[in-house]
Amino acid sequence: MIQARGITRTYQTHGSFTGDRTVHALRGVDFTLPDGGAVSFIGESGCGKTTLGKILTGLETFDGGELVVDGVELSKLRPRQREKYFRRIQMIHQDPYSALNPTRTVEATLGDPLRMRAKETGAPVSAWRERAAELLTLVGLEPAAVLPKYPHQLSGGQRQRVVIARALTVDPTVLIADEAVSMIDVSMRLGILSLLRDLRARLGISLVFITHDVATARYVGDGGELHVIYRGEVVERGLTDEVILSPVHPYTQCLLSAVPVMRGLEEPGPDRTAPTAALDERTPTPGCLFQPRCPFAGAQCAETHPVLVPFGADAVGTDAAEANVTGADVTGADVTGADATEESGHVHACFYPESRRVVGVEVGAASA
Amino acid sequence: MSEVEVRDLTVEYQTSVGWLPAVAGASLDLRAGQITGLVGESGSGKSTLALSLLNAVPAPGRIAGGTIEVAGVGDLTRLGGKQLRKARGGAIGYVFQASQNSLNPLKTIGRQLLDLGRSHEVGDLRALIARAKDLANRMGLDGDRVLDSYQHELSGGMRQRVGIVFALVLNAKVLILDEPTTALDMLSQASVLDIVRKVHDENQLSTLIITHDIGAISEIADRLAVMYGGRIVEDGPLLEVLRRPTHPYTKALIGATARITGDVDGARALPGRPPDLTTVARAGCVFRDRCPFAVEVCAQTEPELHSFDSERRRACHVEPSTVLTGTTGTPAAVGEPA
Ligand SMILES: Nc1ncnc2c1ncn2[C@@H]1O[C@H](COP(=O)(O)OP(=O)(O)OP(=O)(O)O)[C@@H](O)[C@H]1O
Ligand SMILES: Nc1ncnc2c1ncn2[C@@H]1O[C@H](COP(=O)(O)OP(=O)(O)OP(=O)(O)O)[C@@H](O)[C@H]1O
Ligand code: SF4
Ligand SMILES: [Mg+2]
Ligand SMILES: [Mg+2]
Repeated sequence: MIQARGITRTYQTHGSFTGDRTVHALRGVDFTLPDGGAVSFIGESGCGKTTLGKILTGLETFDGGELVVDGVELSKLRPRQREKYFRRIQMIHQDPYSALNPTRTVEATLGDPLRMRAKETGAPVSAWRERAAELLTLVGLEPAAVLPKYPHQLSGGQRQRVVIARALTVDPTVLIADEAVSMIDVSMRLGILSLLRDLRARLGISLVFITHDVATARYVGDGGELHVIYRGEVVERGLTDEVILSPVHPYTQCLLSAVPVMRGLEEPGPDRTAPTAALDERTPTPGCLFQPRCPFAGAQCAETHPVLVPFGADAVGTDAAEANVTGADVTGADVTGADATEESGHVHACFYPESRRVVGVEVGAASA
Repeated sequence: MSEVEVRDLTVEYQTSVGWLPAVAGASLDLRAGQITGLVGESGSGKSTLALSLLNAVPAPGRIAGGTIEVAGVGDLTRLGGKQLRKARGGAIGYVFQASQNSLNPLKTIGRQLLDLGRSHEVGDLRALIARAKDLANRMGLDGDRVLDSYQHELSGGMRQRVGIVFALVLNAKVLILDEPTTALDMLSQASVLDIVRKVHDENQLSTLIITHDIGAISEIADRLAVMYGGRIVEDGPLLEVLRRPTHPYTKALIGATARITGDVDGARALPGRPPDLTTVARAGCVFRDRCPFAVEVCAQTEPELHSFDSERRRACHVEPSTVLTGTTGTPAAVGEPA
């Protein structure tokens, strides 16, 4: 079980033209990933998805918040002690072109971690070849054909599957899949998604699924939660299908409206909408981060920063009661709603939440 | 009227086992005022076909047969040198796959734009710049900043849009876009496709968009062509092909697409693996190994691409109705009252 509480990550960059700049990659993200569970993160390019994935695998540090793995707060541990927790959390990296060492064959890439794992578990080291073949078959590759190859001899989709196989060599308990199927052939993509679903069901592996292709997030299995990130902040969260079918945050609605509709088979959702402007990070946003682009912004949005509250709990209070949702950018000006502590349930950070139907619906199913 | 007529095009690459066709006997029309979507498996020959339309197949590749008639230009396969360079970019605007990596790193975008204008003997360079800025702005970029930037100062998605500006800016009549939105998130993709559609309509272009995202293409294309193993296996008006796919591969492809609503278990992966140059079947139908409808003749004779229903074509031995209603593999046609 992983619990993240108010994770923040800020980068300072020094450009010779742009001067010093602060990038808020993550502004306080929290989520809970139960054993065998699945959480998905969606959001525009640059919203902080990969940064979050890297933090969860120990590849990146965070500068605020807590990361609790199996009840242990990791930032309290010394680096050496932390390692043991991170080792079983494996990341499938976004870019299979840079994730594989170009000078090593697939055999070498899988061999090292497999032999190391065998030593750890006391299994016969010689069994690694069999295991490598098994893993490659699992991800739909022909072991004999692929093992002797170097990365440049593989297609994008094949590389991506080698990266997945490598992540599985250490028998991870948690997999972080960062755009893990983006380069895989459409005809095989579902196969890889059902592999991930299977890993959850059979081996109890839990899954963090990062993508900007929302439709794929539906395929990672039951009970999955969807988190919608905007500029480093979770703006809506709920069961995957609930958020997709009845999103309440305008950003989620814009994002989902942009998902292509399969004409002929689907028709556009009745409430389809779009941002009123392109993203401009230079515009200061003391209130809601989405306000400058929001088609539904009201009086309050420019000044006050909304935090996550359950949908349906009537009043979005304006009292500055301490936010239960540690994730929010808690300042004096922030407001909290009723009780946002519930782990599940549909929550959002918007002053004017309204459920809208924006995604394409199957033709014929609409009227039902 | 067709602006581009491809006939019996065969393109081969040299491999360790000799010359092998990546595109085999393809025939395709790009009609004036229409957007044609080309979808298909990775490695099915889409980019190779697109490169042929510019007679720009890279070595070790060659156009081994067929013709490509472009209105006002002639048979491209016979052009060379200066005439060919003029056609590229001038008559035919294009964005290659991964062209976000093909900008010149040493020059600003604005300089490269001027170079492009000069090489095509554009008289009014100022107007060219103004038009480029306008296009950039309409795609959600800051036109001034982009023109002053070097490639490394732009994100992947920004570069991709710059490529599209380059393709549109010379007012070509034919536009070829190879995977124009793969590096983009959904919101940027929507704005790029929107502007492509608008420019296409404003100038009555003949546009070919290559993608593996059948959803994205369905939003903007008028016609759809489907490739598999170097062959065009089906084409026709987009809505008809999507609603009533008659080639088993088209049907499987639609059925394997992750969908945002509806039953998750309704979608199915195709069994087996996509072929490449060396593994594609030499005799019979290229899809037969993965085809749930295959019958004996499929292993022996290659099905020809033939017309049916006036506007449509398919290459399959089995009857359209069998594929349409067949319960093998993926569910029968969705969305049509029986
Ligand atoms: N090492 C770094 N130094 C400075 N800024 C960084 C660094 N790493 C990430 N960022 C910035 O942090 C933000 C979040 O980046 P991240 O890679 O997490 O985005 P993402 O959501 O994964 O986007 P994409 O969908 O494009 O992969 C971006 O604005 C990015 O430019
Ligand atoms: N220079 C080359 N030499 C040898 N074979 C090549 C060369 N370029 C492409 N091929 C092969 O030709 C076939 C068609 O490639 P092409 O790039 O046209 O496919 P595609 O449909 O565009 O695929 P993708 O969707 O992955 O871009 C593939 O099997 C590929 O491996
Ligand atoms: S020709 Fe035969 S193998 Fe090929 S798609 Fe049609 S039924 Fe399937
Ligand atoms: Mg990322
Ligand atoms: Mg291609």
